[in-house]
Amino acid sequence: MIRALKLEWLKIRNYRVFWILTIMYLLALIIIASGGMLLLEWLKSEGADFRGLNPTIVPIYDFPDIWQNTTYLATFVKILLAFIVVISVSNDITYHTLRQNIIDGISKKEYILSKFLFIVTMAAVSTLFLFMLGLINGSIYSHVWGVEYIFDEMEYLAVFFYEVIIYCSLAFLLSLIIKKAGFVIVALFLYTLMFEPVATTIMINAPVFKDGIAPDIAQFFPVKALNNLISVPFGRYIFMEIEDNLSIKVIAIATGWFAIYLTSIFLILNKRDLN
Amino acid sequence: MEKVLRINKLSKRFGKIQAVDKLDLDISAGQVFGILGPNGSGKTTTLGMILDVIAPTEGSFQWFGEKDTVEARKGIGSILETPCFFPYLTAVQNLRITAHIKQCGTENIDSVLRQVGLFDRRNDKFKTYSLGMKQRLSIGSALLSDPPVLILDEPTNGLDPEGIAEVRDLIRRITKKGKTIIMASHLLDEVQKVCTHFCVLRNGKKLHEGSVSETLGEINRVEVVAEEMTNLVTVIENFPGKRSFHENGSSLIITMNEGVNAADLNKHCFEQGIILKKLFTHRNSLEKEFLKILREND
Repeated sequence: MIRALKLEWLKIRNYRVFWILTIMYLLALIIIASGGMLLLEWLKSEGADFRGLNPTIVPIYDFPDIWQNTTYLATFVKILLAFIVVISVSNDITYHTLRQNIIDGISKKEYILSKFLFIVTMAAVSTLFLFMLGLINGSIYSHVWGVEYIFDEMEYLAVFFYEVIIYCSLAFLLSLIIKKAGFVIVALFLYTLMFEPVATTIMINAPVFKDGIAPDIAQFFPVKALNNLISVPFGRYIFMEIEDNLSIKVIAIATGWFAIYLTSIFLILNKRDLN
Repeated sequence: MEKVLRINKLSKRFGKIQAVDKLDLDISAGQVFGILGPNGSGKTTTLGMILDVIAPTEGSFQWFGEKDTVEARKGIGSILETPCFFPYLTAVQNLRITAHIKQCGTENIDSVLRQVGLFDRRNDKFKTYSLGMKQRLSIGSALLSDPPVLILDEPTNGLDPEGIAEVRDLIRRITKKGKTIIMASHLLDEVQKVCTHFCVLRNGKKLHEGSVSETLGEINRVEVVAEEMTNLVTVIENFPGKRSFHENGSSLIITMNEGVNAADLNKHCFEQGIILKKLFTHRNSLEKEFLKILREND
């Protein structure tokens, strides 16, 4: 395990692009997780109000809601981590280092393991990072304090961790199929942030589809399946709805995709001749 | 002798093209084995299969009589066609990856880099290297774990004359260490200079297999012409160093015994009162044999 992970570490630790993307990602997490209060203060200065209330008292940083709020927002920048995976895999293909690694004495399984452990490590680091950001922001702004609040709803961090792993596995698979980093990044970007959201929104909301099975099918789309893992938390502040339960069905669909990605990665690499 | 590699009916088909066709090969420890063949004859595909990067359509192979090919590959230093390294890493950083995979420790890196003449450039990024330097780094990487077996695929491909000379010199030094080398090449001269055994492939089929010295063994031939051809024949008949001889137009071609050379023959004739007008030694090259083998199989 450590050996496989170290292989990946030797490849990227002196790679500038990796560090630039990592720093961008961590900065993005800081901005997203800590920018809420700035946004609320800006709203206040613009004269906005929530049912006559001062926006800055909206308890977005209260424990335990803070966990769902920050992890939900953080999933928007997971694409930066996926880019790191794409670049690392397509480098191995374009520089023929995947082939060289196999020739030098690892199995294809070990290769997959090295990339997968790298993904898990990145997911773990970002989850830990979010946890710390949550603790810091919570300790500054939370109106409640106490172990029973702080460590409640930690499952959102676990789900975030899982979601990042699945999404990066998709990036791994696409890189193996498409091979060229530029194409994969554009494809991943457009599909994740535009094509599928537009398609699923139409399927769910368009009057023609709304009453058929289209809205149900939309839940099975790969990006939608991941987005469903952590539901939009802000409804509770606007509509006073509470929607903070994790659904087993949603987790099952995401796990299904995860299994498909990993199996495809195995099948593709095992069948492929590395020229 | 200990078998290093046993290939059994190995075949690979790419769509309509039969790249390798039921190839059988046995390679023993200590051999320098050349795989010869025109471009597209299946040399690289064969090497790719025995290194597990190309999946065989049929057949099997076994390294060192073991089942585990992943472990076997750690004891094989390989260069397949092009050098494959990360352009953004230095020579040392790239070799650390190789050392990690081969589990051979990093202490050899400096000495290997000295051996291939890259020590002064060891901390420069791979992308700044010339093709010859890149090729030398891949040889260095193949030598890193001091493996008993080396696989070289067209090791001088794309190099300038100086680079070719450097790489050949390096190969010759390695062969002196008694390693088993499997080398694919279409440069016959190269194979003749370094190989002990060879096989010839064409369209994926093995046309010939044998040792270089046996194939070139009967080549110790001398062609002579004298004023008095009839006397010459008698003199030659009495020459103890000959194995056989025949007339070839206006000259005689004499096949000599092992260890006898043209000077011995010249001396013998002179002592018998025959002055040779012409004397050529025929040194048959592998090239001729190779073309002969290809022709015979047409």
